[in-house]
Amino acid sequence: MNPRVYDRIYGSATALCSATSILFIFVIGLVLLTYSYPSIVVNGIRFFTTVTWNPDLSGAVTTLNGFKTMSNASYGILVFVTGTLITSALALLIGVPVAIGIAVFLTEVAPPKLSAVVSFLVELLAGIPSVVYGFWGFLVLGPFLLQTFEPFLSEHLYFIPVFDGPVYSSGLLASGIIVALMIIPIIASISRDAMARTPKELKEGGRALGLTDHEVTTKIVFPYAKSSIFGSIMLGLGRALGETMAVAMVSNSAINELPKTAFYPINTMAAFMAQSLDSAFTDPSGMYVHSLVEMGLVLLAITMIVNVLARFLVRQGFISGAETVVRV
Amino acid sequence: MNHIKNVSKKKAVSAGTAAIVVVAIIVVAAIGVYLTMVHSQNGGTTPSSQSSGTSFQSSTVTQTASQTSTTTTGLPATLPPETISETGSTLLYPLFNLWVPNFTSMYPSVKINTAGTGSGTGISSAETGTVQIGASDAYMSNSQIAQYPSILNIPLAISAQGVFYNIPGIPNTMHLNLSGPVLAGIYNGSITYWDSPQISELNPAAASLLPHQLIIPIHRSDGSGDTFIFTQYLSFSTPSWNKSIGFGTTVSWPSIPNAQAALGNGGMVQAAQQNRYSIAYIGVSYLNNAEQAGLGYAYLENRAGNFVNFSPENIQAAANAMVPNTPKDERISLIFAPGADSYPIINYEYAIVSKNQPNADVALVIRTFLTWAVLSQYGNSPYFLNQVHFIPLPQSVVQLSEEQIAEIGAQ
Repeated sequence: MNPRVYDRIYGSATALCSATSILFIFVIGLVLLTYSYPSIVVNGIRFFTTVTWNPDLSGAVTTLNGFKTMSNASYGILVFVTGTLITSALALLIGVPVAIGIAVFLTEVAPPKLSAVVSFLVELLAGIPSVVYGFWGFLVLGPFLLQTFEPFLSEHLYFIPVFDGPVYSSGLLASGIIVALMIIPIIASISRDAMARTPKELKEGGRALGLTDHEVTTKIVFPYAKSSIFGSIMLGLGRALGETMAVAMVSNSAINELPKTAFYPINTMAAFMAQSLDSAFTDPSGMYVHSLVEMGLVLLAITMIVNVLARFLVRQGFISGAETVVRV
Repeated sequence: MNHIKNVSKKKAVSAGTAAIVVVAIIVVAAIGVYLTMVHSQNGGTTPSSQSSGTSFQSSTVTQTASQTSTTTTGLPATLPPETISETGSTLLYPLFNLWVPNFTSMYPSVKINTAGTGSGTGISSAETGTVQIGASDAYMSNSQIAQYPSILNIPLAISAQGVFYNIPGIPNTMHLNLSGPVLAGIYNGSITYWDSPQISELNPAAASLLPHQLIIPIHRSDGSGDTFIFTQYLSFSTPSWNKSIGFGTTVSWPSIPNAQAALGNGGMVQAAQQNRYSIAYIGVSYLNNAEQAGLGYAYLENRAGNFVNFSPENIQAAANAMVPNTPKDERISLIFAPGADSYPIINYEYAIVSKNQPNADVALVIRTFLTWAVLSQYGNSPYFLNQVHFIPLPQSVVQLSEEQIAEIGAQ
């Protein structure tokens, strides 16, 4: 057969594959919108401003704005949005410095053999299922934080406002630390690849001009790989926002309560959706399911905003290295 | 530079090939799964064109079998080859796993898949028809029944729930007395210390042992039949709880910063073990685990004002008090039963089944399995129920369940 025919098949097959991603986004968006429509109408803006989440499963079914709901139901996602943002911020705060440290060590400091071994281990970490992280967090990290680390913070660092108060729960810190552990391999391995692509000529030139090792890293490698490192952080943030299972296991599943110190329980949107779906199906009015779907829609929107913002920052040149590939 | 570029290009190409291979594998696997599903469905429908013959045959077999053995059990001698699925309550899941191998050894042509996914999933899967049997610790509410009038709630056994605590310093031989209003106070945050007067008032003998420590109330984070029956006990015994919180497989727990949440009964045991001064509600099928974890359990105040434990006799006493009230559709709470010895938190474990099954063979298999499950010489025998600390259905309820089972037919 004419080799061009193969090329055509090759071209159309790959095009078809990429079309599925557009289709998926479209279908998921459409499903989320239609399923959450009753919740959007009934809950309105209170959905974002209310702390109380009460499906009122033992109440009576009433009709509100044309949709069935339970008489005393109140759906407010403020606790879960706050929890999601706090967990992700804490995870970035802990994870980014460590991950960049790993990447610098692997590309600039470690001898090649050691680097190969550590790189392999880091990539192995990325492959651990989140439920396994959750187990570790539930059995080891949570009790350690609650019994040892948090009392220490509360006793000695009480002048910092977030550590000023009684130790109630390890949920907030444990969630942040677990998610940090999960995003470190992602950020580290992508940053390492980006840094490793820094042309040797540039680094050698820097050394010839008298730069020390760490100056080569900060003045040549970082600027060169800046956009990719930023991209890896955004990818890590995406993972952090959507992390479900591990958080569900360690967060202590706060409900109806906003954290006032670092020693409070917490809950994220993704974890709460996973925990509640079962009960949602027992709501005779169906509003529980609609509200959970709207929560999913909000989570999708937050993730999209983060991605778009990241791309915008890179486009505008706020964050641009010699390499302009951003993997988001 | 050129050299570097070439290398990266090669790498990119190989990564691309790898990605295509991975995608191809996933697509092939998905198609495979789809085909198996279609095939297994056809396994029900394709032979059903021939099977209308076999099903007729088998129903005649059933008739002769039931004619010969009506006095013993009424179960058919053989069943048509069918696969049915069960999903739902994690509390019932261990019992189903004990039942199914025994049942299928009696009827080798039948295959039953079981899954522990939660009572809510059990109910909704049975409603939508994705499984034939949904398992639930909670019965369906009136409004749910109004929505799905063809769904039956069939009790299979009686279960109970204990209230456990982790208080170092209280010996395991001693059991705290707790009442519904005190538990409601603990879970709504109005009773915060173990040595609160409300608690020591109920426990004059243990008053000196109660520590001045914050109580850590633990509740389930997932949707749970255990939450349903526990909050029902609080609702029925404490009007203010009923008004403000109510009951359900999840409720809007009052905000208490040191409250803990755990996933599943196993998670409740684990969380109670890890947190000193905690309190937790746990199904009796986890009694052995809870005792191994060093947890103590409370005597609970019943409607008569006595403090009782969940001994089989006290569960039986509560069942005896409530069973006569069981309506024909068997949807009833057994919580907070009257009677001097009645344990206050017991419940029917339900099979949620649609009256309208896809065909007569499936309906026959379901009827046979459920009948087998409720009969005292088979599924309700102590051999099975003792392993999960359930108690058998009283004879009058077996009869009601059998009447409901008889309603299961083809569309």
